Amino acid sequence: MFKRIYVFSASLRIWHWINFITIIVLFFTGLYIGTPYFTTSVGYEATYAYDKNLTMGFIRFLHFSAGYVLLFSFLFRIYIAFFGKRDRMFIPKFWTIEYWQGVKETSQEYLLIKEHRPMLRNPLARTSYFLVYLMIFFMIATGFGMYGLSDPDGFWASVFGWAVWSLGGEFEAHYWHHIVAWLIILFFVFHVYFVSREDFTHKNGEVSSMFNGVKFFRKEPIDINDVK
Amino acid sequence: METFWEVFKRHGVSRRDFIKFATTITGLMGLAPSMVPQVVKAMETKPRVPVIWIHGLECTCCSESFIRSATPLASDVVLTMMSLEYDDTLSAAAGEAIEKHREKIMKEYWGNYILAVEGNPPLGEDGMYCIIGGRPFVEILKESAEGAKAIIAWGSCASWGCVQAAKPNPTNAVSIDKVITDKPIIKVPGCPPIAEVMTGVIMYMVLFDRIPPLDSQGRPKMFYGNRIHDTCYRRSFFNAGQFVEQFDDEGAKKGWCLYKVGCRGPTTYNSCGNLRWYNGLSYPIQSGHGCIGCAENNFWDNGPLYERIGGIPVPGIDSKADKIGAIAAVAAAGGAILHGIATKVRKSANKEEE
Repeated sequence: MFKRIYVFSASLRIWHWINFITIIVLFFTGLYIGTPYFTTSVGYEATYAYDKNLTMGFIRFLHFSAGYVLLFSFLFRIYIAFFGKRDRMFIPKFWTIEYWQGVKETSQEYLLIKEHRPMLRNPLARTSYFLVYLMIFFMIATGFGMYGLSDPDGFWASVFGWAVWSLGGEFEAHYWHHIVAWLIILFFVFHVYFVSREDFTHKNGEVSSMFNGVKFFRKEPIDINDVK
Repeated sequence: METFWEVFKRHGVSRRDFIKFATTITGLMGLAPSMVPQVVKAMETKPRVPVIWIHGLECTCCSESFIRSATPLASDVVLTMMSLEYDDTLSAAAGEAIEKHREKIMKEYWGNYILAVEGNPPLGEDGMYCIIGGRPFVEILKESAEGAKAIIAWGSCASWGCVQAAKPNPTNAVSIDKVITDKPIIKVPGCPPIAEVMTGVIMYMVLFDRIPPLDSQGRPKMFYGNRIHDTCYRRSFFNAGQFVEQFDDEGAKKGWCLYKVGCRGPTTYNSCGNLRWYNGLSYPIQSGHGCIGCAENNFWDNGPLYERIGGIPVPGIDSKADKIGAIAAVAAAGGAILHGIATKVRKSANKEEE
């Protein structure tokens, strides 16, 4: 009675979970870097505390390492979109009538008016994923901009230095890096809720689909062409 | 015009002292020791350059800083290295006499003099907020810039706008690069800039007859190439996570990092960490107070100065980004749970209807 539809490629699923772990690491190390709320090196001279404890230096090292992982996994994500049709589902097709029809139906479902027709991924989700990609890019650009400007003639400064200056300066870059980090966490909260909700209400295996790549539908989803 | 070496000889300076001086300023300008012969040669052959130094909307702290330069002494710079032809603050002459002199110098050295601008032009009310010699400063600025070889923007006023351009900027004061767009402008920000940075920039331009290498923001790389944070002698405390929490706590006495009490070192490009002030005596962080970021654009608007990341303007709440973020995240989670319950209730209601 349920039809299995293969939605998420293996590359995408692996990327999703790497991205998840990276963002969690980046968020919590970033919070500490913004406001260092504990000290582990009391009793040590600063010179010797450096490599003995969970210090600012080590937490920054974690943050920057995770930043590199985020950058390269992001590039990988863009790369696979060129080769697999189903990996391009993050693009909101707002130039089509179906998109706006889907927005209406999904809004009606979320306002508890009536359920929407079966969809692989509703237009609101597509839009929010697209915005998340933009936010991740923003974090990469401002992050590597600030990281690289320790050496204004260096490689990273020449690649992403503009991100810092176009915001008005380094203070503003710190500020917006912080704000957008929280926006990504807000997305995370909504993402977990709406994915679970989808699974509960439509019984389509939404949660497990990010592990095994498969969703289940009784009727053919209206956006089936995105994976065919 | 006579060359530097000729001026030095006229003042009775020995060859040995001359070479010493050349070596000192080579180091000061951030050049390699191998450049010393070139500096000496330049000083022997280059004529002194006429400088016109004009003052707009400002507090004269740049001039105050400049006259405290120890290496080279500001008096050396003014009297021997360059020929400061016009400066309405330092000159003995005043009134019409000196204004006439400015016009004469401009005509005589058209296309060859350096224009140094301290302060900035307010554009509101046709420039009426700053009148020099009976005329709006913006007019004098445009007029003097026309025949200049290059323009030095002294301080944060001329470079970014500084305090008079802080919100809401009632006089519409703007940095000079908004008014003059067809000349090379060297920004030397700071409120005020370090004295040795000011003389160093002048020396470089005079000796090599070209503008120093600039970064993407138009600042000389040799002085604004590093964050204060990256050159700070308290950096090891930052890396170790040892922070001053309050200005009277144990950490403050031990000289720990001032990051948590709002130090702007991590976001400010200047030479305070390595050149320091008053001939290397000290600088704000060394004296126990965080950097306020005076060399950065908009530093007056990026307050409060004792907090690291600015607040979000939420009416009635003095809020930090983290607090708002946490509230928003909890509210979102709460909203999601409520919405979930509502979905469930609605669904069972629908089933009963069916």
